Amino acid sequence: MVAVEVLVCGSQDRGDDGAPIAIMGRLRERLPPDVQVRAVGQLDVDDLLSIPYGAGVVIVDAATGIDPGVIVDLALTGLIGQPDGVHPRSSHALTMPEVVGLAEMLRGRPLRGRIVAIGGAHFSLGSNFSRPVNASLEPLSEAIVKAVASVRPSAGPV
Amino acid sequence: MHDLDLAGGGSGDLAIDVAMMTRVEGEGSLRLRVRDGVVEEAHLEIFEAPRYFEQLVIGRTPDEVIDIVARICGICPVAYQMTAVHAFEHALHIPIDPQVRALRRLLYCGEWIESHALHIYLLHLPDFLGYASALELAKDHRSAVEAGLTLKKAGNRLVELIGGRAIHPVSVRVGGFSRTFRRSEITAIRGQLTEALDIAYQTVDLVAGLEPPAFHRDSRLVALRHPDEYPMNEGRIVSTDGLDIAATEWLTEFQESQVSWSHALQARDRAGRPYLLGPASRVTLAADQLHPLAASALAATGLADEIRTNPYRSIVARAIELVDATAEAIEIIDAYEPPDQAATPWQPGPGSAAWATEAPRGLIFHAYELDQNGLIRSACIVPPTSQNQAGIEADLASFAPQVLDLPRDQATHRIEQLVRSYDPCISCATHFLQLSVEDLS
Repeated sequence: MVAVEVLVCGSQDRGDDGAPIAIMGRLRERLPPDVQVRAVGQLDVDDLLSIPYGAGVVIVDAATGIDPGVIVDLALTGLIGQPDGVHPRSSHALTMPEVVGLAEMLRGRPLRGRIVAIGGAHFSLGSNFSRPVNASLEPLSEAIVKAVASVRPSAGPV
Repeated sequence: MHDLDLAGGGSGDLAIDVAMMTRVEGEGSLRLRVRDGVVEEAHLEIFEAPRYFEQLVIGRTPDEVIDIVARICGICPVAYQMTAVHAFEHALHIPIDPQVRALRRLLYCGEWIESHALHIYLLHLPDFLGYASALELAKDHRSAVEAGLTLKKAGNRLVELIGGRAIHPVSVRVGGFSRTFRRSEITAIRGQLTEALDIAYQTVDLVAGLEPPAFHRDSRLVALRHPDEYPMNEGRIVSTDGLDIAATEWLTEFQESQVSWSHALQARDRAGRPYLLGPASRVTLAADQLHPLAASALAATGLADEIRTNPYRSIVARAIELVDATAEAIEIIDAYEPPDQAATPWQPGPGSAAWATEAPRGLIFHAYELDQNGLIRSACIVPPTSQNQAGIEADLASFAPQVLDLPRDQATHRIEQLVRSYDPCISCATHFLQLSVEDLS
């Protein structure tokens, strides 16, 4: 029985975008067996629709808009509530709040989830991380472990 | 956030700045300058950082290039792979097994289905129905969004099946694929596609009934055309004004140039004229090669002429191609027999490689020079959005006067809706949009 799914976004060959992928190995070592860690690359509605009802979810991604290396941990409900985030910015891709919102609507109930994001400095082709991101990989893992504990079905409000 | 600032006294002298973008797929903006109700300047300003892929492939082998260019776009990686692999095989005279050819077409069908479904239901339909986003649309039209997601999933599954994964597939190799596919693997997806075909029909009915803004122009439309099939991996480059050249000869008719307002190169024909690519161009130039089911769906809409002249009708062309790609995918699956080998053996060598295929959003062209060791010496990659850029600017210049007197929200809406009609991709070259207008007078 899966209690929590960790959905890891990013691309290994796009600089700091690959930071979440880089820590997948150490995450699996730290997390209990009822937590499933899955690389999804680009988050899709289907990824969230496949979360078992009652299970929690933690989305891990790199982000801009925060300083490189800084880690933020947000409830998914707060993410959807941000007015800037729900408008289509891309000509051919949905924003993450839209993906989460659509999934919740189609599931018929809110997701019990959080997003843990690390600020990135560069997202161009290449597998090297910026110095701030490289220094924050361990704190990122710790933040994810903490977020996983908070979205367990047995935990309190997310 | 979308914001339209209409400053000034409405004299007909205006400058419109559409500014915005996100980091994921690209950054750009739009600037319109209007005097006496006539648009003097319409610039699609792309300030996405240059991505240097044409330099990154220098010194690489053709097989490495196929994997590298797939990274240019998360939505249409197959288009980049197919264009590159065909260019190399043509240059090196590598024969391709007919079943491999069919599998590649099947892979491309998957990308078309996925891309068109995403664009129709989640990006463009909200514009037509007056919603700010797919999320808002889903509150009132849940079944429409579910239909779109079902179609998208079918396309994703096809790409994942043949390509090895849904995003940035890895199985395409010069001469064929990295492995052969059992018939049972291929037929396993047939049921999902049958369901998708039903939804694709419904999609045509839905979008054909949408009311587009009144806007008609006579743009030069360009697409591939093949004598025996709807254009995808092969064909000659044709246009609505009589152009007919080999796919390898793109550079003889068209050229890219740097403009001061964009990091993306703009393509025009050698006489300096803009042109437009994409589903509306393909449906206009190759309607007689549509799958019979798609051809009858198009005939039932009665919109073939409007698809040619009104860019807002591109959503109908996209839906027709959903039927076409889904129906053809089913036929390919039914006829599939595993090839004797996954890929034709080949030897690296020197040569000039060039090819064009049809990405979901239009014709894409690649050219490479191979050195004596068969490594890339130079590369030229021309995505559809770079080619559409000048045509989009021309259409915006024609259309903008119609919205200058509208309230700000309506003007914003119409401009965005028009730009989305071309399904632009900034990281292959575009993104959007925040709109502001300033008075020039």
